[in-house]
Amino acid sequence: MAVICLAKMLSLSMCPFTWPNVLSLRTIANHAAGQLGSVNRHCITRTALQKCMRKTSHQYGCSKHSRSVHATSSLMVSKILSVDEIFTKRSLHDYLKRVEAEYHSYLEIVNTAAHQTDDEDLKLKRTRVASLGPLVQKIRDLELKKRELEETKMLLNDNDPDIRDLAETETEACHIAIQDLKQTILSLLIPEEESDMSDLVLEVTAGIGGQEAMLFTAEIFDMYQGFAAFHGWSFDTLEYMPSDLGGLRHAAASISGPLSYKKMKFEAGVHRVQRVPKTEKQGRMHTSTMTVAVLPQPTEISFTINPKDLRIETKRASGAGGQHVNTTDSAVRIVHVPTGIVSECQQERSQIKNKEKAMKVLRAKLYSMKLEEETSKRYQTRKLQIGTKGRSEKIRTYNFSQDRITDHRIGKTVHDIHGFLSGEELLEEMTESLQRFSEQEALMDILEANDQ
Amino acid sequence: MSSLFKRVLNRYIGTAKHQFSRDASLAVGRNLPAVSRMTVKQAARLWEQHFLEHDIPEARLSSQYIIAHVLGAKTLENVEQRRLAEFLTDAQTERVWELCSKRLTRMPVQYVIEEWDFRELTLKMRPPVFIPRPETEELVSLVLQDLQAQPYGGKTGTTGLQCLEVGCGSGAISLSLLHGLPQLRAVAVDRSPEAVSLTRENAMRLGLQDRLHIHQLDVTKDGSEIVETCGVAQVLVSNPPYLFTQDMEILEEEILRFEDHRALDGGGEGLSVIGAILGLAPQLLSEQGRVYLEVDPRHPPLIQEWVEQRTVGLQYVETRCDITERPRFCILQKGEKRRGQ
Repeated sequence: MAVICLAKMLSLSMCPFTWPNVLSLRTIANHAAGQLGSVNRHCITRTALQKCMRKTSHQYGCSKHSRSVHATSSLMVSKILSVDEIFTKRSLHDYLKRVEAEYHSYLEIVNTAAHQTDDEDLKLKRTRVASLGPLVQKIRDLELKKRELEETKMLLNDNDPDIRDLAETETEACHIAIQDLKQTILSLLIPEEESDMSDLVLEVTAGIGGQEAMLFTAEIFDMYQGFAAFHGWSFDTLEYMPSDLGGLRHAAASISGPLSYKKMKFEAGVHRVQRVPKTEKQGRMHTSTMTVAVLPQPTEISFTINPKDLRIETKRASGAGGQHVNTTDSAVRIVHVPTGIVSECQQERSQIKNKEKAMKVLRAKLYSMKLEEETSKRYQTRKLQIGTKGRSEKIRTYNFSQDRITDHRIGKTVHDIHGFLSGEELLEEMTESLQRFSEQEALMDILEANDQ
Repeated sequence: MSSLFKRVLNRYIGTAKHQFSRDASLAVGRNLPAVSRMTVKQAARLWEQHFLEHDIPEARLSSQYIIAHVLGAKTLENVEQRRLAEFLTDAQTERVWELCSKRLTRMPVQYVIEEWDFRELTLKMRPPVFIPRPETEELVSLVLQDLQAQPYGGKTGTTGLQCLEVGCGSGAISLSLLHGLPQLRAVAVDRSPEAVSLTRENAMRLGLQDRLHIHQLDVTKDGSEIVETCGVAQVLVSNPPYLFTQDMEILEEEILRFEDHRALDGGGEGLSVIGAILGLAPQLLSEQGRVYLEVDPRHPPLIQEWVEQRTVGLQYVETRCDITERPRFCILQKGEKRRGQ
């Protein structure tokens, strides 16, 4: 346990702007190890140091490690709790105990009353047993591993150096397994959002800052196109309204692929850029903004629109239509009359394809309105508001002169704007932090609700 | 740059001499914009302006579609922002000037770039074969919806689903149906040899030739041959010429001068080909088989009356509207009229 604590202590003590070098790390490690007694001093030092080095390299962005909850920056540490920290919470243990008890009592009922299949209550219990099964199994596994760790630790003080070595390896393996199990348990506790599995419609709109804001909007749109390619999602532009100087006023795209909404939903909000625009002659720094909306794309079955509520506008509406005219203007504009929501598409040469694409955007807009209504109460207390909620809130700053990107919701900063705007590892790292933070909030909600 | 200009002009006049000498002299008389090194965006704007000055309809779109086509895209909206600011190569400039000159003669954009999209498909377009209109995309939707809702395949067993199209033009309807329904087979007829060969070419390009038989037959003359060759189908679909002859006068030059009049002119009341199709329909359809027609908005009541008075073995099912809420499609079904209906 000492090894882990030490490593954690070290990582906590690191500050994002003044990285301790390896030498000073070694000093701390040696010093700390010295206080632990001389028997296993060497091995602890080595392990701790390895861990520190690994963490350090990770902090510099060299590796992509998905499970390092607390290894990004000190600002983060204050907000995102590590798995271990969450597991120190009493409420979590109470909750897990309650889940186990519920599982066993239901299992008992289900097993003894196996023949009355038409009982509604029994069906519910059966479903609950089935859904809790994996979680309970993991809780049990964790107990077993913890016991195993205790037993192995005894051998660390064995006289035979071979056995000590073996025990050390075993202990390390146990720690990793325990971390894995804890992580799994937490992710099993976090509820799935209904819309997490859906595809999405991305909308970008230039905000304040004129041409500069439009240029930035084009860069952000490209970033998400890169992000989609990075994940192997399909990216289909639905709408694109460029500005005269190569910027972008407004655009929409349909993104689909595994986990696309889950990863993209935290991108919604106001993005701010601080830089000296290309058009600026006196070298003054400007601040401009653009807005991102991420709308889950409902399936045909889950959300229907009454065709009578739609007014479809095309170029062909005037004049005779049919064989009488040969227009190449295939743009389609659809108005949802009850809400006044409008969507249009002119990406395609086929009118029916334009209509389909416009419908896609319209459906997403209407669906997200519906979701917003339904969920606004549920997420009132949360900081990371999903979907279109919090659209007006500034979520992130791209500061070019300092070459940094800061997400204000979780206080996370990464460097290398160019790399970030390519929509690859750095953006992925950011969305993963946001996701962990959001999951943690969801978890805390559950635990708090459980306490009351 | 002057050498490039000369080359463009020479090349343009060279092709024009062979194919469009009359139109070419017109266009040259209008002075082409000077060729110079310019970006995609500048070229698009220049030609839009030039088309406007010469009263070419849809000036902006024409310029954009042609330039997008030269860049290998379908619309300029699909071209990346940074490419719009890049310079056109000499070869691209030459091609843009060549194609835009054709448009100056009022040639439809679809013929100028020799292709257009119909639903999911990109089809080859060639004068004088009729250019499919957006309404016909909806006709295909109607047929697809019906066929997907009713599993004909089960009823007809091994013979599978069969469709007949009268007046196939570029092949848009048949090829879209074949594309959408893998179990479907189709026969397409058209009286024009150009249409027959263009449909064949499009079928080959899309890899759908194995399920499509194409015959050069005229529904108004070769009735018995059509019945012999085509066998029995569950679906008879057509976008027949349905303009009233008097309407031909009001057509835009794009249509009047470039498209086959026989694909447009449906006679005095626009019903001459429709009548021939409905007359043959009972012999071409299986029991409960359906006819899907695109027509002029004035036609549905006339057709309903016509069927009720004259045609034996055909029932009028319903009229459907197009996207602009005009009564545009007629659905009929084989079978005797039941009492009380």
